[in-house]
Amino acid sequence: MQVYQPREDTRLLLTAALSDVRSGERVLEVGTGSGIIAAELAKTAHVVATDINPHAVAAARSLGVEVIRTDLFAGICGSFDLVIFNPPYLPTEARERIDDWLEYALDGGRSGRDVIECFARDVGRVLMPFGRVLFLISSLTGLYEVQQVFSDLGFTCFVVAKESLEGEVLYVLRVMRHLCPMRQPGA
Amino acid sequence: MRRNLMEILCCPVCKGDLELRVIEETEAEIMEGGLLCGHCGVEYGIHDGIPDLLPKT
Repeated sequence: MQVYQPREDTRLLLTAALSDVRSGERVLEVGTGSGIIAAELAKTAHVVATDINPHAVAAARSLGVEVIRTDLFAGICGSFDLVIFNPPYLPTEARERIDDWLEYALDGGRSGRDVIECFARDVGRVLMPFGRVLFLISSLTGLYEVQQVFSDLGFTCFVVAKESLEGEVLYVLRVMRHLCPMRQPGA
Repeated sequence: MRRNLMEILCCPVCKGDLELRVIEETEAEIMEGGLLCGHCGVEYGIHDGIPDLLPKT
């Protein structure tokens, strides 16, 4: 099996996305995997999805998703109302790597935040001024640390859904640009 | 891929515009073709309806 199959995290993110998306919005799902979230959202919105895994893009296309093979949003230049991402978020040591496509969907580097940090640095490029990001992490990824990554880059970041599993808690975070940054009086 | 997807595609390296080359097209979409970045001098493929925008290293 070469494609990450829908699990608790997928369902939690899908539920959050369905309650957030508005009809006719432009949605980008990054790292779509099986394509199930993109396919569901495409019933109400204009959805485009990406994945780096050739098996995942084929799976998503078979669900009727408009899909592009690229790394995160490297080959995407539009602006979207909503960006969805279920990233590789598990802390992974080099000796644990088995180097296949399925692991690519899970491996967040030593901290679990490597891919999330790359995503955070560049997501503003594909986000409308009032655009939102919904993405999923685990308590193993470090909730405070992830929120810090986004706030350092000028975003606000809130937990909008959570679910306890054995040994970890899943969180869906909603990120927006910080539109009213704190200013010094007179500045 | 549908033709209107061109509006949101760019070169994954320089972020420049891409030029579409169609080899096989159905009524709905482009099945086989290429996406040329003139700036980088690289052509990315479209296969089975899926654009492949991974950098060619």
